[in-house]
Amino acid sequence: MVGVYQVHKAFGNVQAVRGLSFELQPGQIAGLLGPNGAGKTTTIRMIAGYLLPDAGKVLVAGFDTAAHPAIARSSLGYLPEHTPLYTEMRVGEYLTYRAKLFRVPRDVRRRAVDWAATRCWLGDVLKRRIGALSKGYRQRVGLAGALLHNPKVLILDEPTNGLDPTQIRETRQLIRELATDRTMLICSHILPEVERLCHRVLIIAGGQLRADGSPQELTKAGGSRYFVQAREARVGDAERITKLWATLPFVGEVTSRPAGDKPTQSVGWIEWTIVARPGSPDLREQIAAAAQQQGVLLRELRAQAPTLEGVFMDIMDKAGEVTEDPRALGAKETAA
Amino acid sequence: MKGLGVIARRELTAYFRAPAGWLIIALYMLLAGVIFSVYVLRPGGPASMRDFFAVSGWLLMPVAPAVAMRLFSDEIRSGTLEALLTSPVSPGAIVIGKFLGAMGFITCMLLPTLLYVGTLYRVANIAPDPGPIICGYLCLYLLSTAYLGIGTLASSLTSNSTLAFMVTLFAILGLLFAAAPADLAPAPVRTVLYAISIGPKVSEFARGVIDAANVVYFLGIGVFCLLAATCTLELRRWG
Repeated sequence: MVGVYQVHKAFGNVQAVRGLSFELQPGQIAGLLGPNGAGKTTTIRMIAGYLLPDAGKVLVAGFDTAAHPAIARSSLGYLPEHTPLYTEMRVGEYLTYRAKLFRVPRDVRRRAVDWAATRCWLGDVLKRRIGALSKGYRQRVGLAGALLHNPKVLILDEPTNGLDPTQIRETRQLIRELATDRTMLICSHILPEVERLCHRVLIIAGGQLRADGSPQELTKAGGSRYFVQAREARVGDAERITKLWATLPFVGEVTSRPAGDKPTQSVGWIEWTIVARPGSPDLREQIAAAAQQQGVLLRELRAQAPTLEGVFMDIMDKAGEVTEDPRALGAKETAA
Repeated sequence: MKGLGVIARRELTAYFRAPAGWLIIALYMLLAGVIFSVYVLRPGGPASMRDFFAVSGWLLMPVAPAVAMRLFSDEIRSGTLEALLTSPVSPGAIVIGKFLGAMGFITCMLLPTLLYVGTLYRVANIAPDPGPIICGYLCLYLLSTAYLGIGTLASSLTSNSTLAFMVTLFAILGLLFAAAPADLAPAPVRTVLYAISIGPKVSEFARGVIDAANVVYFLGIGVFCLLAATCTLELRRWG
């Protein structure tokens, strides 16, 4: 339904997308993740037909966006970031205008507008000026405008941006319902949302695809993290304890930093982050036993199950990228 | 060219959703009315709209850039151009649609001036010759085509509508007064300056002469600028 094949795009000297390839199937909700400057927007703009690739090919509903732009674009609904709208128009007028622009036949146009307005909870504001609407309502107008011509492919950039929690839940439900016979690509910074909503996650950084799989596959590939606050019983030797953790089975990476915010409470205490290898068992008992044997005082030991965010951060670290928004920690933490 | 009509209609109605559109028409009508009362309805004067058309031509000089400046600049600034360019409407249809919307606005602005023509026919002892009147309106339309074409191109180049206005205004002034330094220039340059200058062509229309070359000149400017604006939109796809 959507095919991106060896696509390259540069803006001057900046190579925004390098050799990106993936395919999306009908009924699939895919999430596109990446830090700012990763090439997300450039990628979705190329799929939407706003930009043309320097090299490679983009197919939408089987049509090349460069060779058959009009047919490709008519098969696609696109909600750009920041939801650009004509603020002087009324909601109903805007939706009718979009329906005409996307050549919705006259006899079903009214029905299409009503359907989109109802699905996006706009029934009570159809006669209001868009400029007078709240951000949440504008987002819904943009969403209705993207789906009223019943496109086979929907690309939504931050679809729940500006919505209240109830509307977010309803929008997620709407996206799930719409995806039954459509291909959907969602760009979002809210990783738990992508984890909950998407069948597939594409992580890009530096214009390249770094990870591709279901959220379950990706999180399975990441290891659990253990946060340990400990110190030597007598003289502090953090290096010895770091080596102790590192020698435990299934342990991958070990990092440390001074524990706590108040120095008076944290003299000598250090927090270690132990990243377990993928597929390893629960290491808390091993860690506690090793500490007891070696005379290390434990103040805290907690485990964090692998999350998409953890995987995302690992990928970004490996890619040498700096993530711009470490919010929305969907941490599934369990205190030891 | 599917979608052209939809874009033209939206563009035309957008002028009337903002106070600026009504203000432009009101100011134009006021100034045109003053000119008509003072110069055309002069007691003992000839039943001619010549002065009215001459002043209207000058009034188009700031009006057309003001009408055209927001055609694309606003869309670029607000991001709606992205939504427009991802619709199944070709850039050519978008450009022509917007241009026709602007021409529609100029038509709405000029339409009430037919009242002045009717008034002249009513009060004149000798009915005015319709030829120069038709010629005058044709000239205003051709001027609008050229001016709005330039404005459309300027607007497609920048997200700053004020800049688009200024560029259009100076381009028009350049074309209007291109022939001014012609006498000082060597012969080949002089020929080119006269050829590109709007001034002499407007003078011919004012005399009631419709020269096909002049018509082609104005339409040519409009078509060239619309093609260039279409290319500008296409270039945006290449980043």
